[in-house]
Amino acid sequence: MSNRVKKFFTPGKILAIVAAFCALLIVVSFFSDRLVTPLRGAVSQVIIPIQRGMNGIGIGVVNRENEKRNIEDLQEENRELKDTIALLEEENKQLKHDTKDLDSLKKLYEIDKKYSSYPKTGATIIGTTSQNWNTSFVIDKGSNNGIKPDMNVVSDEGLVGMISEVHANYSIVSTVIGDNSFVSAMDEATGDHCTVRGDISMMDGGFVSLERIKQDANINDGDSIVTSAISSKYLQGILIGYAKDVKQDGNGLTKSGHLVPAVDFEHLQKVLVITQLKEFDNPETQKEGEEGETQESGET
Amino acid sequence: MKRKLCEIGIILLFYLLQVSLGRVIRIGGIMPNFMIILPVLFGYLKGRKEGIFVGFCAGILYDLFFSDLLGFSALIFVIIGYISGMFYNNYEENSFVVPLIITAISTFSYEFLIYIGNFLLQGRLITPFFVARIILPEMVYTVLLVLALYKPVQILNRHLDSKKRKVKDSDETYS
Repeated sequence: MSNRVKKFFTPGKILAIVAAFCALLIVVSFFSDRLVTPLRGAVSQVIIPIQRGMNGIGIGVVNRENEKRNIEDLQEENRELKDTIALLEEENKQLKHDTKDLDSLKKLYEIDKKYSSYPKTGATIIGTTSQNWNTSFVIDKGSNNGIKPDMNVVSDEGLVGMISEVHANYSIVSTVIGDNSFVSAMDEATGDHCTVRGDISMMDGGFVSLERIKQDANINDGDSIVTSAISSKYLQGILIGYAKDVKQDGNGLTKSGHLVPAVDFEHLQKVLVITQLKEFDNPETQKEGEEGETQESGET
Repeated sequence: MKRKLCEIGIILLFYLLQVSLGRVIRIGGIMPNFMIILPVLFGYLKGRKEGIFVGFCAGILYDLFFSDLLGFSALIFVIIGYISGMFYNNYEENSFVVPLIITAISTFSYEFLIYIGNFLLQGRLITPFFVARIILPEMVYTVLLVLALYKPVQILNRHLDSKKRKVKDSDETYS
């Protein structure tokens, strides 16, 4: 170390200064978000566009790889699917008939709110939050596109999670399989309530935990579990997954088990953000709901 | 100055690799930590001051996007850079072993601190599971990554040096 100019600043002193500065930052950011938010906004202006571009390249490479591998599989699958289509068409006719009856009944009971009628907007996943401890990810739409915190995020298969942080040009989605995420849910068929809790120690099985089922509740293996009406943030009736291994708890008062998520989180690329928040006394929300209703009845 | 800019560029590049490539190369849900190897490599190849600088920049970027506590990773990374820089004088051209060991130890300590803060203090007491399922695999994966990235970073470091050396006198030599 023969630098004469920097004689005063030995590495040890620099370390002490920088470490003290870091400690100060920790203390400040522990108590307030005012420091982090503008900084993050400024840096994200530079990074997010690049990230979006890189993600495009990544998806392209992966897709090409998959295409090569899958052509034979696809041909096989195609044959099977054609058979299935014939079956389903038959079934569909039957169901269409049933739906008409159902619709009229629903209108009678005014419970016409359905998952498919919520207004949605599409978004692409452009990155993960880079820790192995949680499973949140970054999508390419932010407050510029009208995204707000607590909006529900779904895929075409079921519930993905909720918007946890919103920035100008991106937002962060925390998923229902993330550790310590709680969703109050119910059995679609019987309406019995339960709680879905993400647990990182079940990540190998691909499950999340299904808890707080009442003793007399009728939830069986394979039942569809949907978001419940009493959830404060999740809209009602979105499919979360299917119950599995429901067993008596040791305390003799409750039951618990596993839940297999309906969404394939490993291969998620596009998600849909439901732009309707769960608010009860908002007239705008009601209007949107009615619009959905008229659209739906127009289709059928 | 040019060196600093170049280093910031590399930090950005590693960050982008982390968020985009990290998802693709995940094994069993575990991805390597691209950011933590920066202070290790630069500290080892260029000395303590450089380790502190790179550690601070990388840590702040990491915290901005992935942590609620701004400065936590920066603090750890700065210390890692400093410790790694202490081995700078024993630096040999083809010695892979020292940075690998530093990476292993620092990844383990860093992840274990996160585990303590986020899980242990909230009463999640199954430490063996978390260590065996998340911390150790990430450590091994990150060490493998260092093995792959050591040579390119070393070449880049030498390239940045050679430009400077022409103007200044060479006070440190690589044998």
